Amino acid sequence: MVVIDAQALAKRFGDVEAVQSITFAVEAGERLAYIGPNGAGKSTSIKMLTGILYPTGGTATVLGLVPWRQRRQLAHRIGTLFGQRSQLWFQLSPRETLALLGRIYRLSGGETARRIASLGELLDATELFDRPVRTLSLGERMRCELAASVLHEPEILFLDEPTIGLDLVAKARFRDLILRLNEERATTIFLTSHDVSDIEQVARRVIVINHGQLIYDDRVSRMRRDLLRTRLIDVRFETPPGELAIDGATLVKLSGPGAKLEVDTEQRSIRAVLDDLLDRYDVADISVTEPPLEDVITHIYGQAPA
Amino acid sequence: MRVARVFRLAVADALANRRSFYVQVIAMAINDLTWVIFWLLFFNAVGNVRGWNGDDVLVLFSILLTSAGIALGLLGNSRKLGQLVADGEIDAALALPLDPLAFLLARRVDTALLGDLAMGPLLFAYASDHTPESLAIYLGGVACASVVLVGFLVTISSLTLFFGGRGEQADLGFQAILIMASYPLDIFGGQVKLVLFTLIPAAFVTGLPTSLLRDFDPATALALLAAAIGFASLGVGLFRLGLRRYASGAVWTQA
Amino acid sequence: MGGLTPYGVAFTRGVLRALSRPGDLAVRVGFYLIILIVTSALWRAALDANDGELAGYDRVALFWYVAAAQAAQLGPRPRTIEEVGDEIGAGTVAVQMLRPVSVVGLRIASELGEAMLRVVVAFVIAAAGMLVTVGAPHSTAGALLSLPAALLGCTLSVTAQHACGGIAFWLLDARATWFLWSKLVFLLGGLLIPLELLPDGIGNVAKVLPWASMTWVPGRLASGDLDPLLIGLQLVWLLIAAVLAAGVFALGERRLQVVGG
Repeated sequence: MVVIDAQALAKRFGDVEAVQSITFAVEAGERLAYIGPNGAGKSTSIKMLTGILYPTGGTATVLGLVPWRQRRQLAHRIGTLFGQRSQLWFQLSPRETLALLGRIYRLSGGETARRIASLGELLDATELFDRPVRTLSLGERMRCELAASVLHEPEILFLDEPTIGLDLVAKARFRDLILRLNEERATTIFLTSHDVSDIEQVARRVIVINHGQLIYDDRVSRMRRDLLRTRLIDVRFETPPGELAIDGATLVKLSGPGAKLEVDTEQRSIRAVLDDLLDRYDVADISVTEPPLEDVITHIYGQAPA
Repeated sequence: MRVARVFRLAVADALANRRSFYVQVIAMAINDLTWVIFWLLFFNAVGNVRGWNGDDVLVLFSILLTSAGIALGLLGNSRKLGQLVADGEIDAALALPLDPLAFLLARRVDTALLGDLAMGPLLFAYASDHTPESLAIYLGGVACASVVLVGFLVTISSLTLFFGGRGEQADLGFQAILIMASYPLDIFGGQVKLVLFTLIPAAFVTGLPTSLLRDFDPATALALLAAAIGFASLGVGLFRLGLRRYASGAVWTQA
Repeated sequence: MGGLTPYGVAFTRGVLRALSRPGDLAVRVGFYLIILIVTSALWRAALDANDGELAGYDRVALFWYVAAAQAAQLGPRPRTIEEVGDEIGAGTVAVQMLRPVSVVGLRIASELGEAMLRVVVAFVIAAAGMLVTVGAPHSTAGALLSLPAALLGCTLSVTAQHACGGIAFWLLDARATWFLWSKLVFLLGGLLIPLELLPDGIGNVAKVLPWASMTWVPGRLASGDLDPLLIGLQLVWLLIAAVLAAGVFALGERRLQVVGG
């Protein structure tokens, strides 16, 4: 079932075309990362899909509703988490904000309490719910914000740069929670981000936009595999080789007993390169890695629209 | 009503830090007392001015404080709407299934202004003629004055939705109207008075309510009521129009 | 900027900073004009009720008084005390002490740059307004002198606020201190009501307090009272304030050396 359907969606601000004719469809239960450099049009797109902005071209429906025309109706069925803005009252406990949200979304008191309890378990946040928000660390607060965004059990959760400012551990934990939401409640996840790890660890599908245009739309796994044929080989030798020349491999770095090679697997298979290395040199240790997703994406940013 | 619940939470939030709450309320009360002292000194030195004496001015002041306490203290966001727009906080309000203006106004209680809400009624109790009619007129006058204040502030804050900026015009506007409303209307000349009935509606905040207390007159009462309805409608209308403009993305904000 | 001392540089930067924010300047001046309109209206009504004269002030004198006194207090930034108090607490002061100049001197110089520009602009505009509405001041010399007196008063205010920042930090809440401060300026500085109109005892005492030197002195000069003692009074208080401010900052540095960090 298609839950988000964007057709040639466009937004122009005066002279600036922030979003130029973007088309994609999202199925229920998907985990989608919507990425692009600053100014690419990410926030504008998400605002159109949540009904805050209306487009200057094209159409979109979210859960069968037109966001900018049926915003309030849609609000009951989607959740939003804006990374830099808080929904929680600062001096009070998250539970009090959650109770209020329960009322706002017209849930009964009992139902609200039940949901708060289950969210507390799902998000490992129960012990946080009764502490004043100002005493929580950013990571703890974000967990509570997440609870606030999904209290009304939305079918889609829009997250705009949710991991900004979190340390590595908190980020990993947060991503894990989003995965749980998706797995246990089949909540569709629509995430915008700069952070490449958000994509690697949360998303199954990635849409890349740049200069308002859709550059890439495919599975994350395929992105890495198809887009760059490069593999990196890190090798350590028993004795420094002095000189290193392998067919099909470019020497990136050679320092003493260690070397870094880049292989274009279109030109020559990894197998062949490795065979060569092991035959001709005294190899102590070897590892083959894919290029960091950063590089892949930077490469994509530079490409023409799909 | 759900918005009432939002307001209740805003009150709880403001009360949560007891020490800060008391410090701010007392500080504002001292501030207000300074003005009371000024007026007492003034009338002591100057005597009666255009039919006004010390008690008259204290009554005016009590109306000002009470309505400021309501319009700026209880509805703490009324003068901050411009800033909220510039910060993108309005998006969070738009994401909820509530009327955004009602939500934003109810969402925050500004403790700093609550001292006025304490002093206002006290001053009235001291300076009024203690009749039930006066009390009724005071309450009605304060209600209308508060509505005019909020309507005025929402109107000028909404300009941010049209023209961008950070809402500084609302700061200036709110200080201007409070200053102008602190003085008896009768001291001003024709041109200034005209401004006070229109651009900076201080006449409806203290001028008319005070005149009703000194000498009740149905026509004036009706005028005050009309002004309250007028400014409220203007504020709500302009904000709604502004939202539509905001949704068109005509205003670049930081968000 | 070769010939300027570090303080001169800080001062100039302050001036440029104020100039670079014309919107902010316009808002303050607009605000000042509103206050002028209102206070003039009030005092005109007061004079009418008293045969055009109050405690020796006639219309011309009183209006020029108000214009000058209000202009003098327009300069300093309202949050100075709070900011200084916070900076002492946060240790920013101590870090700045690593530089081989007087921290408090630099800070004061920098703020004065901004403040003085505002006072001058406000003064010029108000003077023009006054000339149009009430005509020439009783004493042109007095009116001209009131500008440097206003600047001196502004300097005194900024310096004294730096001293009070210390009190703010050690004794009270920073915000509350500033609040009380501004009330003192209003009442005892002759800002809301000329000191001559206060009951005798209070008025005379207020005249020798520091706040009067910030606003009442320039007002008095503009109203036509060419008493050189007025400026003398300002200078005395300025000296006292400077010593206090320096002392406060020295204590602030020592506190950090004790506490560490």
